[in-house]
Order: sequence, then C-alpha cells, then structure tokens
Amino acid sequence: MIRLENMLPKAFLVGIIEMVDLVGPEKTYHWIEAIGNRLAEIEGPGFEGARDDNINYLPVCPFGNDLVEFIEIYGERPEEYQQLIDFVKDQKEQSEEGWNYPALSSVVGILHHIYSKRRAELAGAKLLNLGSKSPVSETKEYNEQAIARSGISKDEVSGYLDKSFCVSKIEYPEEE
Amino acid sequence: MNYLEAQRLYENSVKILSENQHEKGGFYASPPGTRYPFIYPRDHSMDILGAIDADLMDQARKGLEFMLNAQKPLGEFSQRYDIDGNDASYKDLQIDGNGLILYALGKYFEATGGSFFDKMADKKFIEEYWPVIEKAVGFILMNKNEEVDLIHTVNSIHEYPAYEHGFEMYANCACCAGVLEAVKMGEALGKDVSMWKEEGGKVRNAIMTRLYSPRRRSFIKCIRVKDKSSNPIGYDAFASSVIDVDAVEYAPAYFGLLPDSDVKIKSTVKRIHDNLWDKEIGGLNRYPEHWDRNNGGYGPWCHFTCELANHFINIDQKEMAEMYLGWVVDMAHEYQLPEHISTIERFEMWLEDYTNAKILRDSKMKMIEHVRAHPKWNDGLAYVTIPLIWPHAEYIRTYKNYMNKYG
Repeated sequence: MIRLENMLPKAFLVGIIEMVDLVGPEKTYHWIEAIGNRLAEIEGPGFEGARDDNINYLPVCPFGNDLVEFIEIYGERPEEYQQLIDFVKDQKEQSEEGWNYPALSSVVGILHHIYSKRRAELAGAKLLNLGSKSPVSETKEYNEQAIARSGISKDEVSGYLDKSFCVSKIEYPEEE
Repeated sequence: MNYLEAQRLYENSVKILSENQHEKGGFYASPPGTRYPFIYPRDHSMDILGAIDADLMDQARKGLEFMLNAQKPLGEFSQRYDIDGNDASYKDLQIDGNGLILYALGKYFEATGGSFFDKMADKKFIEEYWPVIEKAVGFILMNKNEEVDLIHTVNSIHEYPAYEHGFEMYANCACCAGVLEAVKMGEALGKDVSMWKEEGGKVRNAIMTRLYSPRRRSFIKCIRVKDKSSNPIGYDAFASSVIDVDAVEYAPAYFGLLPDSDVKIKSTVKRIHDNLWDKEIGGLNRYPEHWDRNNGGYGPWCHFTCELANHFINIDQKEMAEMYLGWVVDMAHEYQLPEHISTIERFEMWLEDYTNAKILRDSKMKMIEHVRAHPKWNDGLAYVTIPLIWPHAEYIRTYKNYMNKYG
C-alpha cells in the first residue's frame, strides 16, 4: 500500500524505472552512483553491519522490506531493474578491476555497494563485495574476482550468506 | 558489607579498566574474545568517568582523544567503533552517546582543575577539540523537537526501540547534561555559549515537567514518538507514553540535573526499588520482566545497582547503600563483574521464549555457551558476559564515593 508518509522509498524505486526508460541503464547507474557517494560523504568513514575480523556482513537486508513490498504492489519485478543489473554485470566482466564491482542480487544492491564502498574508502580501506542474497528470491550471487582477491573460499562466503544478505571483505592497504 | 572484599574488588576493577584500554585509546566493552570486543561510546564514556575517579587521568585523556577523533561529519558519535575508530554500527541512532562524551569530557576538564584552578586545568585539550564539541552540541540540538523541547532518539541505554524510540529519559538527561558541560567548558574558555545555555535550560525544564508524572510521583521512561519533526506530535503514529518503571528514571540525579535529595528523585527511586529490586537474588533489574527482552535470562545488573547505591550514599542512607553495594561485592566472581546475573530457571525460560519465537540470533550462541560453562552455573546462577568493563567503572565510582563518606 502507498501512504503519503511511506511514499519516498517507493518514489525512489519508481524513479529507477523511470530513469532507465528515460536515459538508459548507464546514466541511471551513474545517477545512483552520485546519490550513494553523496550520502557516504555526509555519513563519513565506517563499516555498517556485523563483523568477524575483516569480514563485514548484514544479517538483515536494509532495503529488503521496501523492495519486497514494492514488487508486491507493482505486481512483478520491473524489467528495467534487470537491465540495470545486466549493465553492471557487463561492466564487471569487461573491467580489469572486476573485484571493485558489487555481487548484485537485486537492483538496490547498487546503491548499497556504492555507499558502503565510499565509506570504506573514507576509512582508508577497500571493500570487496564477495556475495549477496536477494531479499526477494533468496538467490545467491557472487563476485568471483573479489573472492579470488580476498583469499576467502566461495564455500565460506556461501556460509555467511546462509545467515546474511551481503558479505564483504574489508581490505586495508597493507593487504593489497 | 565485607570491607576487605570491597577493597579487593576496587583494586581489581582499576586493573581491569586499565587492561581493557586498547593502545589506540578505546576501552573495550568486554575483553577481546568475549561478547563485545568493540568500543561503544556509552560504555566508553562510563569507563572514562571510572578512570577519572581512579585517578587514571592519562588513560581518561587518551580515551577522550580516541572518541573525539572518531566523530562523524554531522557531529554524531555512532553506536560503536572498531579499535581504529571507524564507525562499526549495526543499529540506528543512539543520541545519548553524544551527551555522554560531552559529559565525560566536562568531568575530565573539571578533574584537571575546571574553571576554579585555572593553571592546572587542561584548557589546551578543550581548545584543541572545541570544533568537535561545537559539532557534538549541534548534533544534539539538531535532534531537539521544538514543540516539546526534548531530544529525539531511536535507541537509548537498553538499545530497545520498542520502549525507547521517542523522547527517552536517559538520552535526554545525558544530552542535557552534555550540553550544560559544554557550556561550562565554553565559559571557562571565554566562548559565547549563551545559545547552548538557553537550549540546555529548555531541555532541563522539559525533563522536569513532561517526563515527570506528579500522580505517580515518578519520572517516566519515554514519550514515544516516531519522527523527530512530527508536528504536532499528537498526530505521530507512535504517540503514547511509556510509564513502566525503568532504572534509568534515576537519570536526572545521575547526571546532576537534580540533587539526590530532591523529593522527585527520592520518590522515583522508591518506585524503582519497590519494583525492580530482585526479590529472589537481590540486585537491581533494569526494567520489568514482562518487557521480555531478557537476553541470558531476566535478572539484576551490576552497574544499575551501583548507580542506586550512589544515590543512597548521597542521601546518607547507609543501610540501603550497603545493601546495594554489598550485593555487588558479594556477586563478584574472582573480583570480576558480569553484565547481569540470572537464575538457571529464568535463563532457560528466556531460551525457550526466544527459540519458540524464532528470534534467537546466531550471535547469542557464544553467550549461551559461556553462561553454561561458567562456574557459577553450578551454583544455580547464570553470569552473562563476564567481565563487562562498564560495571567495573561504575563500581570504582561508587566505592570511592562510599569510602569518601563512610571510610
């Protein structure tokens, strides 16, 4: 249901659809990137979520409720979301720094990754997004290049995803 | 009270406090390898206050430096930090942290000489961090609701939004006291802090009126309001009052906004004691059992028991002070204090409730293991998170106060 007081998250989710239709996935990606970076600069350095040494994970999907509810009331997963996810995956495949991209299981992971990555950079670290799990379908996605760079096994990442929705490694400069 | 044991517990508390400060300045909430190996501004501030009372002034200063350097751009101090001072929060706003850091800083400044012993006072330190102080006060005032002059938060001392989301007692007292300490520091440095003084005064007045129930003759826990800027707050989705008794309703005296001898404080403490003193195992519970967020089983908390012991010391009720402080001394295990103590029966009841409701988080499994493996389990008691550093800091403060008065 939509009420004025809870409209803003839904407005952003509709905004993504409208932006993809209007300017395409690439510009939409950069629009979300700008939003994530700007919010990260406001919040400052840090790593939100649970922690096991340098493993950072989120037991609860921060955008899950809003996304699930939106897809329920929208009736289906918008195809524009998949276009955007495919765009990011293509970028990841083509890049020599594929480890720097998110392991995307849902469109809201783009905002989450850019925001978290920037906050990590402000703290003097890199954030390798090893895997994520869709709050809608519970499908697990992995970033193989990030996993290879992290030195953590895919099984271990999968184990974290059994109890969380997003798992990353905090990499400090001396580890690079 | 066993004076020799009380003295030994004091000595070990000072040792534990010193040993649990990381070289970068942060006080661990509990030692690495136990439940809370992070730095939480709330616990950390209390540890700084304990360090001041134990005359560990270098450690107190180092602790303050750590936290003041970890302030976020908007002026907030987060729920928790890693040892490097990076925000490592996993919970929403806990604004009492801002008040507590300012309060601890003010007490440090006072202990070095304050505005009375000008030559000794660490004015250089306060001057160096003045921009941080300004932002910290600014963040508190940013979260003040203009309709009721109270500070809004999502979490407070119990990290329990169901009872703390809104204008909550502890958060308001901590923030008000923090702003008023900032005023004192500013005045000592010759800054214009008149606006802070006025705003701090408004919050204090609102605590005394809106968070006090004359018919109950007690301060109350919280005015539940979802959004800080709800206007009017009467139409806010959460609009209601939390009138259940909570140990932190003593906060106006704890933070020096009222003297312990004030009748409002005395009658509030009477309600707290009547309802929260544990009739089975002694000690002070933090809130009613029926709130049912009793991780590790419902039971008394050492640091809240120390806080009320302080009250009884301050109003010269020695018998009650000894009952409270003596309980803490008696319950220490090898001169270590846990977060709280429960019984096996209550522990199992909590475990059953949380298992059936499917709300038992993975992170609790380590705590459950530790509780069952602790030697006190064989005595029928569940010692949850031992040692926790905060109660040791609180014990230091209370023991010193007790000995200054009766020693």
